Amino acid sequence: MAQNFNPFVEQVPENVKQAESSKKVSNDNHAVTKRLHKELMTLMMSEDKSISAFPEGDNLFKWVGTIMGPKDTVYESLKYKLSLQFPNSYPYAAPVVKFITPCFHPNVDTSGNICLDILKEKWSALYDVRTILLSIQALLGEPNTRSPLNTTAADKWKKKEEYKKLVLESYKEV
Amino acid sequence: MKLTIKNWTGVATWRWVANDDNCGICRMPFDGCCPDCKLPGDDCPLVWGQCSHCFHMHCIVKWLQSQPVNQQCPMCRQPWKFNNK
Amino acid sequence: MNNQNLDLKSAWITIKEAFPILESPSKIPDNDFDSAPFEAISIIKRLNLTQQIQDLVIIKIEERLRKEIVPDFWSHFKKTENEAAVFHEFYSVVKFLFHNYVQLDLIINKLILLREASNFTKPVYNQTCLHEALKLIVRAVLLSQLPIDHEWMIVNFYETALKMQDPEEENSTSGECVVCMQEEFSCSCREMFEETNKKLGKMTLLEPLVGQALTDLIYSYIQTHIQKICKDNFDNSHIESLEKWLQTVVISWLKKIYFHNSAVKAMDEFDKKLINYLYNTYTKIRIDQLFNIIIEYPDSLPALDDLRLCLPKTDLKPHLTRSLQKAIETRLLHPGVSTFDVLTAYVATIRSLRILDPCGLLLETITQPVHQYLRSREDTIRCVVGSLTEEGPNDLAEELVRGEAVQVDENISVDEGVEDWETWTPDPVDVVPSKSSGLPRTSDIISMLVNVYGSKELFVNEYRTLLADRLLSQYSCDTEKEIRYLELLKLRFGDSQLHFCEVMLKDIADSKRINQHIQQDLSYSDDDIPMSAMILSAQFWPAFKDEKLELHEKLVKQMESYTGAFETLKGSRTLCWKNHLGIVDLEIELADRTLNLSVSPVHATILMHFQDQNTWSLEALSKVMHVPSTILRRKLSFWQSHGIITEPEPDVFYLQEEQENNENNIQDDIVVEDFESESAMASAQDQREEELQTFWSYILGMLMNLDTLPLERIHQMLKMFAFQGPTIECNLQELKVFLDRKVREHQLIYSNGLYRLPK
Repeated sequence: MAQNFNPFVEQVPENVKQAESSKKVSNDNHAVTKRLHKELMTLMMSEDKSISAFPEGDNLFKWVGTIMGPKDTVYESLKYKLSLQFPNSYPYAAPVVKFITPCFHPNVDTSGNICLDILKEKWSALYDVRTILLSIQALLGEPNTRSPLNTTAADKWKKKEEYKKLVLESYKEV
Repeated sequence: MKLTIKNWTGVATWRWVANDDNCGICRMPFDGCCPDCKLPGDDCPLVWGQCSHCFHMHCIVKWLQSQPVNQQCPMCRQPWKFNNK
Repeated sequence: MNNQNLDLKSAWITIKEAFPILESPSKIPDNDFDSAPFEAISIIKRLNLTQQIQDLVIIKIEERLRKEIVPDFWSHFKKTENEAAVFHEFYSVVKFLFHNYVQLDLIINKLILLREASNFTKPVYNQTCLHEALKLIVRAVLLSQLPIDHEWMIVNFYETALKMQDPEEENSTSGECVVCMQEEFSCSCREMFEETNKKLGKMTLLEPLVGQALTDLIYSYIQTHIQKICKDNFDNSHIESLEKWLQTVVISWLKKIYFHNSAVKAMDEFDKKLINYLYNTYTKIRIDQLFNIIIEYPDSLPALDDLRLCLPKTDLKPHLTRSLQKAIETRLLHPGVSTFDVLTAYVATIRSLRILDPCGLLLETITQPVHQYLRSREDTIRCVVGSLTEEGPNDLAEELVRGEAVQVDENISVDEGVEDWETWTPDPVDVVPSKSSGLPRTSDIISMLVNVYGSKELFVNEYRTLLADRLLSQYSCDTEKEIRYLELLKLRFGDSQLHFCEVMLKDIADSKRINQHIQQDLSYSDDDIPMSAMILSAQFWPAFKDEKLELHEKLVKQMESYTGAFETLKGSRTLCWKNHLGIVDLEIELADRTLNLSVSPVHATILMHFQDQNTWSLEALSKVMHVPSTILRRKLSFWQSHGIITEPEPDVFYLQEEQENNENNIQDDIVVEDFESESAMASAQDQREEELQTFWSYILGMLMNLDTLPLERIHQMLKMFAFQGPTIECNLQELKVFLDRKVREHQLIYSNGLYRLPK
């Protein structure tokens, strides 16, 4: 699977350089560009306002997504920002998705990395930005406590009151 | 009156017989071509898996190439097998 | 004392004898001279009265001139009718003047002797030479009594003289002198002319008296001549012949007149002035004709070349620009001119101006209003694309072919600009640069046409629509030709946008093959109705207008059969018929005649129904065919015009075997209804609203994810992501207005130069 960046290294924003290099890449990847454009259009036209995403800056291959915490969960009415980095082989390879907003959740670590099967081995070319964001939104309400990245969160999950406090504490609007 | 039709030239559009309009992988219409092709129809055909899901041939081939092991149908995740009619 | 008095008296007499004019101004003896003066001179010298006597004589001379000679001279300048008489009159008047002058000059001679003897050198009237002083005096007195209408005689005189020697004057060929109507060899008019000039020259009266009139005369002569030559005549270059004419006819004539004038330098300057005037006049005339010259290009090429050569020699470029702009505005850019004609004129303008002004500034200035105007016409693109690919020789198609070479050059010249610095020259200063001079100045016509819209997409889209029309309206279309045109357009516009057209052409070619295969398919039979199909890839053709039509059951069966054969041929594929499209070749045998027509499926279906049943009510037919009554009525009128169907009662139609009165014109036109692409096109306004709505969704998405953005960023991102395809973009200004409206509606917040969503 082709991935351009080490997901565990903080990416320094070099908009210009990235834009240039990715522009060159996108010329070779006409198909990916077409698909991403289509996805963007679908997203803009969709009715569901609890999830959204848009390319960041000039780079079509890097987006910023927004998820509203699902209703009737501890994350209700919280707005989380994520970054989505698309590889040249999209959709044959999954994009790299990370939380920008700090998120206290069993499957999210302190750097914002997400442990979600569809983002890794269970990825399918049929998935798209919308399904990814929906899945992550669903994950907020239904974490997988058996393979946690954040063990504290996994432990506290059952204790709703305390859990909610920790969520709100760590939440920082970006 | 005796009416003789010497020739009737009709106009029709062709389409693939599939259960969907768009290819799930590239999101382009089946009746168009995949992003890598220029000409639709015979030059960019559809294929069906035994699970009865269909895609652009080029798209599914690329998908299968990106999965070195466990080649699965992107839709249902069953093991993929070309359905040769 | 007495002696001295006597002496004075006799001295005075002697002096008077020497200078009779002292006695009375009119007294001038015919023969004069010799002995007398010397005695008088010595007397004067002895008495030391040189200055006084001289002054006295001069005063008397002046008096004589003033009171007698000059009034007499001018009195002859009264208007008469007889032209010939004028000529001779002037001649004799000048002769008279000269005679008097000569006499006065003799007196001057004596005065000079006096001065020499007395060694008196004080200048008179600032002239050291007394002869010159006399000339000055004559001139002064003459001009001081100038009557108001003195010029006419002079003008007449010289006009006549000009006619005399004008090689184009009619009379000169018949051997007659224009003035006196005598045989040329026997009249003395020429000599008279020369003599007059000589005399005037000697009196230095040429310039003051004749100069102005002569100049005016010459100028108008030149102008008339030029106008005569180049009126409505653009096929020839006249510059050389005009210059030659100027030299041989005009200047040499002038030189003859001024031959005796000592001011040669003035003549040279006048020469230059004349040449300049010649160029100016010629250029001005050509400029006035420029619009016509452009229209008649390339026949008018010589005239254009002339103009190009003349323009730098004159200061008339701004005049040209203004005049041409005005001409174009009033004669071209108005509703009375068809779009096609505007375009043809536009192309001609570009080509002509390319020649006239290679650097392109003029072209830019002139074509701007044309661009604007063309944009306002709805059918411009259609016209352009249509004529680009038309049959036969036409300008635009030529340009298209020629364009390949041009495109390559364009790229080179951009780089060459740096290398060529040694030969680089700045733009000419005298053309007013237009506002858009920032854009690359391309004289490539195709690019200019596209630039009218500023968008290749719009252009290509229209081409696609036209091509679709063309392909579907003739089954046997010339695919080779279409492919060739497509290749040319691809070179110009790039592959991707035109690749839809490639698919369209391939569809047509494939359809032919598929038809052949199906015919050969044994299980398929079309004994009932011979059928063929144009099988299209829907995604690549423009949208069809959806018209409902249910075909006759015979046809439905045939179509199903055809579809089956197709499915066998192409596994996993099927056909989706557009019933209302296509061409049907019919043979209609009526009682009295047989018609062969090609019609649309709707018309054919109507007739098929009438074959089953010869009377139909509108309602019933409409139900069977699934076509709304209003449309059906229109289609029926086609058959009515052929006299095959009549409407004996309202809404009831009857098949008519025999034509009654031959009142119907039989139109054997091929009636094929084209579909309109961009089906049920919403009004431009609605489209715009929809587009703005799309933009709004994008803007919402942007701000939701990226929080705050300034106006420029929003516009930039819209440009990158939202402006896809041939929709018209939204410029910064429009966007600002739109966003501000949203702010007013509290859907957006604007603070610190940034927009964001309300909480």
